[in-house]
Amino acid sequence: MIKLTKINKIFADKHQSFHCLKDIDLSIGQGEFTVIAGPSGSGKSTLLNIMGMLDKPTSGNFLFDEKDVAQFSSNKLADIRRDKIGFVFQAYNLMPVLTALENTEMIMEFSGVSKKERKQRAIETLEAVGLGEFKNRFPAQLSGGQQQRVAVARAIAAKPLLVIADEPTANLDSQSTESLLDLMVSLNEKLGITFIFSSHDPRVIERAHRVIHLQDGKVMRDEQLADMSAGHPQAAMSS
Amino acid sequence: MIHKLALRNLLRNKRRSSLTSVIIVFAFSMMILFMGLSDGGHKAMIDIGVRMGLGHIIVQHDSYSDDPALQHLIAEPEQLIAQIKQQHPTLTAVTRLRVDALIQAGRHGVALTISGVQPNKESQVSAIADQKAIIAGKTLAQFTNDQHMQRLSGIVIGETLAKNLEVRIGDTVTITAKPASGADLARSAFMVAGIFKTGLHELDTFWAEVPLISLQTLLEVPNYASQIALYSQANPETLAVTTQQLKTTFSTYDVQPWQTAAPELYSAVTLDAAGMYLLMLIVYVVVAVGILNTVLMSTFRRQKEFGMMIALGSRASTVSKVVLLEAVYLSAFSLSIGLALGLWGHYHFATEGLNFKEVFGTAMEAGGVLLPEKFYSILDTSKLTLSVLFVFLLTIIVTLIPAIRAGHRSPLAATQDA
Repeated sequence: MIKLTKINKIFADKHQSFHCLKDIDLSIGQGEFTVIAGPSGSGKSTLLNIMGMLDKPTSGNFLFDEKDVAQFSSNKLADIRRDKIGFVFQAYNLMPVLTALENTEMIMEFSGVSKKERKQRAIETLEAVGLGEFKNRFPAQLSGGQQQRVAVARAIAAKPLLVIADEPTANLDSQSTESLLDLMVSLNEKLGITFIFSSHDPRVIERAHRVIHLQDGKVMRDEQLADMSAGHPQAAMSS
Repeated sequence: MIHKLALRNLLRNKRRSSLTSVIIVFAFSMMILFMGLSDGGHKAMIDIGVRMGLGHIIVQHDSYSDDPALQHLIAEPEQLIAQIKQQHPTLTAVTRLRVDALIQAGRHGVALTISGVQPNKESQVSAIADQKAIIAGKTLAQFTNDQHMQRLSGIVIGETLAKNLEVRIGDTVTITAKPASGADLARSAFMVAGIFKTGLHELDTFWAEVPLISLQTLLEVPNYASQIALYSQANPETLAVTTQQLKTTFSTYDVQPWQTAAPELYSAVTLDAAGMYLLMLIVYVVVAVGILNTVLMSTFRRQKEFGMMIALGSRASTVSKVVLLEAVYLSAFSLSIGLALGLWGHYHFATEGLNFKEVFGTAMEAGGVLLPEKFYSILDTSKLTLSVLFVFLLTIIVTLIPAIRAGHRSPLAATQDA
């Protein structure tokens, strides 16, 4: 699904430059539940942004769904993000003026899904994440955990191939974290949605099938912790 | 969804949106009010101006403007009127003969302009011969209709002139003028029939009206006139067309619209209209700045949201549409309220009128015309419609750049801290 070859990312201005990602080679297949782990400043979020097509690499090749996205226009990239990728951000990033239901419907509306269908799918998704009764509440009326669940509902309601979550549990308490991770594992197992997280939370890492360790912009280790076919954990390790 | 987003974003900062809305409502309603009063004032100025011995259209001898001598009169004016009325039956036409003369009463004498008029016709169109202007005695029409009882022809003179000559109603005055034949000065006695007051120094001091036929006899110019004044109820556009048609048809005559015949009045109206357009410009700037300020503040604070929408797959145009819609809704709401308030004010002044003297404590003179104490608001629908459309267009124009910029936020903004 994702193939990165010799990906480099350099942030530079007039006075200085910072080599954030260094020759990253990586492949992520359909149905994986992968965590990109590493300390702060290791390049996790930058790598995630490139995989989510929010940012472009300075050099290297990036194939998404076997297509080279380097030459795509910003509108074409927006279409791919809309149709194939769901995002869950650390700060939830819900639209404050829309209710939980409307936030969940939003991407489907961008896709042109009919009003009736998107409403039905949004309600079903909110119920699936345990927020059916909170659907008419605005983000400010929900707890952090509930907001993150709405963000997950928004990410998966449009039935994406891939969900990218940047430290989704960073602002959550233990109970909300466990509950959210259960939900994501369940979605991965039931719907086969590919999940890529960035996190250094051990509770997230222990649920992953695969953990990619980054340090100073390089892949230090790529651990295969479980069988790729979701729901069948099988300890495995590759260096 | 984008409509919902736009509306709720406006309500998100109620104070800012309300303040902008109040400014637009106030500015727009004031603009409508002033537009109506200004147009009403102009109409009053023109109406009263053309009734002070002028006319909407003046037809005279080709050389009369340059040399208003008795050699440059219109012969057989009634025939010319008949030809004009054949083409333009709605016009009201009056014939006038004017000459500079000397009026004397006892030991007093004053040089002035004598206007020979058709009393009954003139009373329909002139503010000088109008019953309302007569402060003593009768109008020339009333006096002339009762003339079988009088020995002399009547004359109506201004209030100041009457004081200067020390004459009252029923007194006799003598008019002395040079007749067309070039012979010695001709004299004729007239009885003071009425004294008028227009409030205009020139007319009240140096103007008198006598029956046309009496002046024609005195000047030895039977069936001659200085001018034919035409009056119309038509709007300015139709009047301009009529003037042009008359110019073409009667090309041997000098056909002048009131704008040419009374340049001071035209300048006063034009200057006042220019002031109104300046006010409109200020309103447009206020609306534009108000909208721009709201949109800029709103978009500045929501950069992360726009980035987030783009990150989630929204196209740049969708984000831009949200921003544009916010401005359009704010503008539409404010303009509707402003329009309603402005029209309410206009209705009040259109029916009740604005008493200028009551408000400002004095009558106002403009362009050689004493404005009526009360005048009424008049709204030109096309001007109003254009203003509304222009403000709408302005809203879109000033919002366009912030909207486009919002649509081109980097999706990375979604991942950054607010």
